[in-house]
Amino acid sequence: MSGAGGLAWRALHALLRALLCLQRALLACLRGRAAAAAATSCALLAPAARALGFREARAAWRRRGPARGAAARGRQRWRADGRALRKLPVHVGLVVTEEEPSYADMASLVVWCMAVGISYVSVYDHNGIFKRNNARLMDEILKQQQELLGLDCSKYSVEFANHDKTGQVLNCQSALKVLSSEDEKADIVKAAQNFCQLVAQQQRTHSDLDVNMLDNLLSSTNGFPDPDLVLKFGPVDSTLGFLPWHIRLTEIISLPSHLNISYEDFFSALHHYAACEQRWGK
Amino acid sequence: MSWIREGELTIIERFCANIIKAGPMPKHVAFIMDGNRRYAQKCHVERQQGHSQGFDKLAQTLRWCLNLGIREVTVYAFSIENFKRSKEEVDGLMDLARQKFSRLLEEQENLKKHGVCIRVLGDLPLLPVDIQELIAQAVLATRNYNKCFLNVCFAYTSRHEISNAVREMAWGVEQGLLEPRHPIHAWCFSQSCGQNIPFGTCVKLSFSSR
Repeated sequence: MSGAGGLAWRALHALLRALLCLQRALLACLRGRAAAAAATSCALLAPAARALGFREARAAWRRRGPARGAAARGRQRWRADGRALRKLPVHVGLVVTEEEPSYADMASLVVWCMAVGISYVSVYDHNGIFKRNNARLMDEILKQQQELLGLDCSKYSVEFANHDKTGQVLNCQSALKVLSSEDEKADIVKAAQNFCQLVAQQQRTHSDLDVNMLDNLLSSTNGFPDPDLVLKFGPVDSTLGFLPWHIRLTEIISLPSHLNISYEDFFSALHHYAACEQRWGK
Repeated sequence: MSWIREGELTIIERFCANIIKAGPMPKHVAFIMDGNRRYAQKCHVERQQGHSQGFDKLAQTLRWCLNLGIREVTVYAFSIENFKRSKEEVDGLMDLARQKFSRLLEEQENLKKHGVCIRVLGDLPLLPVDIQELIAQAVLATRNYNKCFLNVCFAYTSRHEISNAVREMAWGVEQGLLEPRHPIHAWCFSQSCGQNIPFGTCVKLSFSSR
């Protein structure tokens, strides 16, 4: 870029970014108004609060909802929240487009999904960070499950269903899959190769293949229904390859970030989903 | 109304276009034509009028794309799922399609002038035969143009397109043109789906958030 046109473009770009930041700051301010009184009193007590580690506890509460001691009250609240919605998604996809994913925040989201009664959860980032560090995510989820839902976790057991294991989603309240960009596209390519092999062996003809057959040949979401809702976190306006075959009718809600996400933000997205009109092409 | 609205940009539009063109530009933009019925409701007109005005706005948008040097545009005009709508609405949309594809054939000089290659993607046998014929004529008449590309998705769903691509590969194996052990890459799908360049930007023309 050079010349007056380039200079004008840069100026326009900088102005748009400034306006976007201002908009985000205003939205954050409006959300914070409800807690403004608490924030003010906390600010006054800031020195003592810092000494007691209150700020960290407040950030943890904001992220995790009720504190450890109120787990029983929290469980009832979350289940009631889920039942109060006009419709609850059966399968939620949590898609992170940010470069640095947070295991603690993702674990919170998974546990909240379980707590409100969502049966299937998929976690996805296109770099495959969560998938490569599956064990670390699992540990964080189990830790938060215990912390947020109390010691009696049996009602809220989560089954980690990797895509190469089948039949493990039965008899569980919630099932979780951790996916990466290799899963779905590679799955479609593999299904295509398998079908072509059958054609080469004259067990099938090309005209046998239709949408239903290809759907049956795909395995990346074995046992999971198509996602009803995708919560997309981050500034990228794309689902970056998350289950392209399965999200044809999925409601996609964008949130600015999964970092330090609060239960209120999560529930607000569920509320938005419950209120949306889905016409399925009609 | 022509597919690509004639007329030059105003001074302000030209100024804005020059600024925008100075920065990175997408090479391929897709438009999802959504919201015609809500627009009709808002303006207290018939749904058919909403669809017709939706097309008019598309024509204006295609002119903007031409001016901005965007070489490939894909338009999602009608989904297979839309056949679930009332017979009256579907018939109205088919009549609009007849009108517009006929108009396209009348504008061959204009298409030649801008070098526009028309491609129509979808499960075309689902459409009335006369519309299939009009589409075939439009595609054949413009097949050699290559300055820019207009892909119209009509009777389309992504699942049908992906399945179609796999079926074509299987046909290649049946004909001995492909070996099943040849690696099939994701790239093959985009070629089978008839697109030159992957999307840079997808624009949904409506108020809803999906």
